[in-house]
Amino acid sequence: MRILSTVQFTGLRMLRNYIVLLLLLVVPILLITVFSFILAGVETETGEKPLHGVVKIMVVSFQLFGGSIVMSYIQHEFFTAHRMRLNMIPIRKELYAFSIMMCGTVYSILLGVILMLYSQFALGIPWNWAWSIYVITLMAILSSIVCLIFALAVRSFKLAERLSEVYGVGFILLAGLFFPMPDNAFFDFMGSYGNPLMLAMLSIQAIEQSNAGEAWFTANILLGAVVLLFVLMLVLGRRRIG
Amino acid sequence: MTVFRFVFLRSFRNTTNLIFLTLFPLVCIFMPQGDPWPVLPYGYQLFGVFLLFVSIRLASYIQVDRMSGVVKRLSIAPLSHASYLSQHLLAYLLIIMLQCVILVYGGVLYGQPLIQPFLLLILYISYSLAALAIALAWITLFRNKELAFFGFMSFVFLVSVLGGIIVPVSMFPEWLARIAVLFPTYWLAEGQLWIVYGNELGDFLFVNVVLWLYALVFMIIGSTRKLR
Repeated sequence: MRILSTVQFTGLRMLRNYIVLLLLLVVPILLITVFSFILAGVETETGEKPLHGVVKIMVVSFQLFGGSIVMSYIQHEFFTAHRMRLNMIPIRKELYAFSIMMCGTVYSILLGVILMLYSQFALGIPWNWAWSIYVITLMAILSSIVCLIFALAVRSFKLAERLSEVYGVGFILLAGLFFPMPDNAFFDFMGSYGNPLMLAMLSIQAIEQSNAGEAWFTANILLGAVVLLFVLMLVLGRRRIG
Repeated sequence: MTVFRFVFLRSFRNTTNLIFLTLFPLVCIFMPQGDPWPVLPYGYQLFGVFLLFVSIRLASYIQVDRMSGVVKRLSIAPLSHASYLSQHLLAYLLIIMLQCVILVYGGVLYGQPLIQPFLLLILYISYSLAALAIALAWITLFRNKELAFFGFMSFVFLVSVLGGIIVPVSMFPEWLARIAVLFPTYWLAEGQLWIVYGNELGDFLFVNVVLWLYALVFMIIGSTRKLR
């Protein structure tokens, strides 16, 4: 119960971090606005608009970086500034860490939902709300867990930060958003079922084509990755925090 | 040239920096060729974005000096601010030029179709001058190093999209294409277009002069505020 009373302050401190707001909210809003100007009139022969896909993949890809919120917070509370203080107060540390993780994930999802709202109402991109939020939730949890694993497994926080950037940028690169990847088995796999970003996109696209089986299949792969990595995170976390 | 030497040592002392400064041009060499756009292989396109990151990373050393009071202490030493700044910038420029040489001539060795490698090298050097100057001007706006870096990162994303490095300018609506001219990345893309299709040397010179103008203007802005 004591943990619950900390949640609102955790939330407030996260909201106050304006660098995160700049990078994960203002920049994507500006970027998707620019893309909506550039791709406004473009249509393929089948009448599809590439803009919709581009905006969706951008909204989802910014979830890859959401984990850095949790990571920097955990670092601040457990390993540097508040480390000694935390040893004195009568709370269960692992529960506190879990509450921070939940707060960060919810915050990241919230930013994603704001982006979705903006793209739906300002730019007219149709979203399948329930499913997209489910997929974005999975992505946010996955990214938090991955970043926490980095923070817990690596001694130097700078290295952990770099690794989290590699995770985000790497999967965007592997998805072939900047340039096409070479055509072989490894890159094919990493550009489809081995890539959380592409799994999320495949799932959202499948539900739009009302292909529920495929949508569940891809989302369940994500869920499986979340569960597996969560166990790994628990093992690492007990060693460093517990 | 004492400052010059120590700037060099300082830039390469940090392992992350070392990896950052040497590995990326090497990776860029091996990126594939786009069809039909961009005109040069993707690595040569993205290197323009990357140079902006390198310049802010290097320029942030000057910011650290300003914030930690080193510049204040130097102001009573027998060293003028102009020579402090110029030696820093010269060292940074040399580091960046080295990367450009690796990228361009590595590409030639690897067999990338670079049409006119020497002119491409000159274009990159002009561009990196502009990039360094912009980074220098940017850090004078901020007190906080982190904020300056992340702010610049968002700026880079926007500039590279708006300047036609990620998406070709020919796809832009007309009013956006006019705005694109304002960004240095547009001139890099323009210069690369000239290297593939152009034939009049005057046009290429014009692109370079525009980049030098950027460098001059931002250098003046960046060098004015030295103390806080």
